[in-house]
Amino acid sequence: MKILIIEDEIEIATSVINYLSSNDFLCESATTLKGAIEKIVLYSYDCILLDLMLTDGNGFKILEALKKQNKTDGVIIISAKDTLETKIEGLTLGADDYLTKPFHLSELLVRIQALVRRKQFNGKNVISFNEIEIDTISKSVKIKGMKIEFTKKEMDLLLFLIGNKNKVLSKSAIAEHLSGDMADMLDNHDFVYAHIKNMKKKLKEMGATDYLKSVYGTGYKWQDE
Amino acid sequence: MEQVINGKMNKKLLQKTLNYYFIYALVILITVGPVFYIISNILYEDDANEDLYAIKKQFDKFTKDDLTIMDITLWNKFNRDVNLEKFNGIQKDSLFDHSYYDALTKENEPFRVLNAPVKIEGKWFTFSAKINMVEKENLIGSTVILFISLLVLLIIGFFIITKIISKKLWQPFYAALDKMEQFEIDKSTSVKLIKNTTEEFNRLNSAIDSLIHKNSSIYQSQREFIENAAHELQTPIAIFKGKLENILQRNDLNSEQFKLIDDLNNTTTRLVKLNKNLLVLSKIDSNSYNEIEKINIKDIINNQLTFFNEQALSKKIDITTELSNEVEAKSNHFLAEMIISNLFLNTINHNVLNGQVIIKLTNHSITFANTGILIALQTEKMFERFSKSNPSSQGNGLGLSIIKKIADTNHWSVNYYFMDRMHKFEIVF
Repeated sequence: MKILIIEDEIEIATSVINYLSSNDFLCESATTLKGAIEKIVLYSYDCILLDLMLTDGNGFKILEALKKQNKTDGVIIISAKDTLETKIEGLTLGADDYLTKPFHLSELLVRIQALVRRKQFNGKNVISFNEIEIDTISKSVKIKGMKIEFTKKEMDLLLFLIGNKNKVLSKSAIAEHLSGDMADMLDNHDFVYAHIKNMKKKLKEMGATDYLKSVYGTGYKWQDE
Repeated sequence: MEQVINGKMNKKLLQKTLNYYFIYALVILITVGPVFYIISNILYEDDANEDLYAIKKQFDKFTKDDLTIMDITLWNKFNRDVNLEKFNGIQKDSLFDHSYYDALTKENEPFRVLNAPVKIEGKWFTFSAKINMVEKENLIGSTVILFISLLVLLIIGFFIITKIISKKLWQPFYAALDKMEQFEIDKSTSVKLIKNTTEEFNRLNSAIDSLIHKNSSIYQSQREFIENAAHELQTPIAIFKGKLENILQRNDLNSEQFKLIDDLNNTTTRLVKLNKNLLVLSKIDSNSYNEIEKINIKDIINNQLTFFNEQALSKKIDITTELSNEVEAKSNHFLAEMIISNLFLNTINHNVLNGQVIIKLTNHSITFANTGILIALQTEKMFERFSKSNPSSQGNGLGLSIIKKIADTNHWSVNYYFMDRMHKFEIVF
């Protein structure tokens, strides 16, 4: 999968590329509006990560350029601007998602995956990991073909963990993913334990392998043995 | 309201001015009164003396030469106020006051008397002329009445003039005063002052104007600074956060290093939260959340209840709600959500293990009560930014100031009580 990162802050771009590269993504980056437009004219991307405040102009121009060329590349805006107006403007201009800086890279990764799924598979949205199958449209989880009752939060958690497979996740990243807009309100992330415990229990009851490893007590990693 | 304030102020200023005027008039009248009495007395006496000498002169000129000793008795009989008496031995003219019994008024009357020696047919006689004077008591009495009525007239005059002055001349002053009272630095940007023809008031107005302008611009730039600083911090925090997450993926980390990175991660999360709260505060200040709608408070509470129940679970806190039927309040939607979530968070963060939270919604207020430390919080600095009751807590000391700020913006009031071993925060719509 090909990703284009349009971001004038090189350090952020590097971090994103580092994180995504190990997950079968081919990453390219552009630091200016001009460079980015050249790239989108020449190539197609599965997903474009777009920063709005670029040194030579507003990132919204990229969305206009894509529209003009009838390109259907998925776009996730990554911006420090968090006003509702900016978000609405971005989404109306054709962006698919909006992520406010600072974000967790793990969050960005699952957002890209979700976007790519929506764009590419057109209705067929099954994610599988060995014996686990998740249908993101009917919101159901199957283990070895057997349906399992998962709450919305637990399914969210499972998708997040599998999406970030082989990556070490901090508790705060998981907490923020699970709490969405309310993430800023959190003072402690202990509630993550409860969800993980419940999810693990359900998977174990259905005979699934325990793929979730605890890392030094405070982190988690979803890993095929 | 304005009228009352205006009226009260008017009265005060009027009273003060009148007091001074009254004291001044009183002092003047008290000192001038006796002087007036003495002077008028002297003048009157002088006048009487002159008259007496005139009578004497007339006597000398027209009567003396024709008068014989034989005629004196007769002459005396027909002259009431001028008499020729037996010579009393005084060789010089003498003037003195003397009382005589008046048969007509049946009382003693004061007289000014002139005694002078005259020689008639070679024999000495004493010429005595007298003029009826005003009684001293009468003179004093009328002087006092005159001065008191003068005082009364002056006071009435002062009162009317001061009233007119304070109404007309001071009107721009009161207008400026009203404007200043209504001025709120975080809401209004400038105050319109009425132009007038009085130099002092124009000076006052321009002074107020520049003061307000200066303060507003300082306030504005301070607000912008906070907003910009918070905004600009987001990029470095994002970089920091990204790098940390990448380090976390390294396979060669040992437990100790991992722990350090995880701590940094949590600190970054706190930093992000602090930054976002600062942004929210400065955005409320800059009136960014100005779309007001009718908000169903009950819905907002119910929407957040699931999330906070989950949060409460780790501390084994029990949340009970007593929500009356649909309560509507006017607010911006985001702000209403924000104030409720901050109240929720407050009750959970400062709670104890196995604690309790009671949320009570009535038609006019909402109360969040929670168990916690067993002493009442200090209220005076409670709502100030970065004030923390517990310095070791993870909170950033902005939660309560956000609650206060939102309440202020919506013209709601926030009350704190410590009752039945519970901390209660009440918002009155």
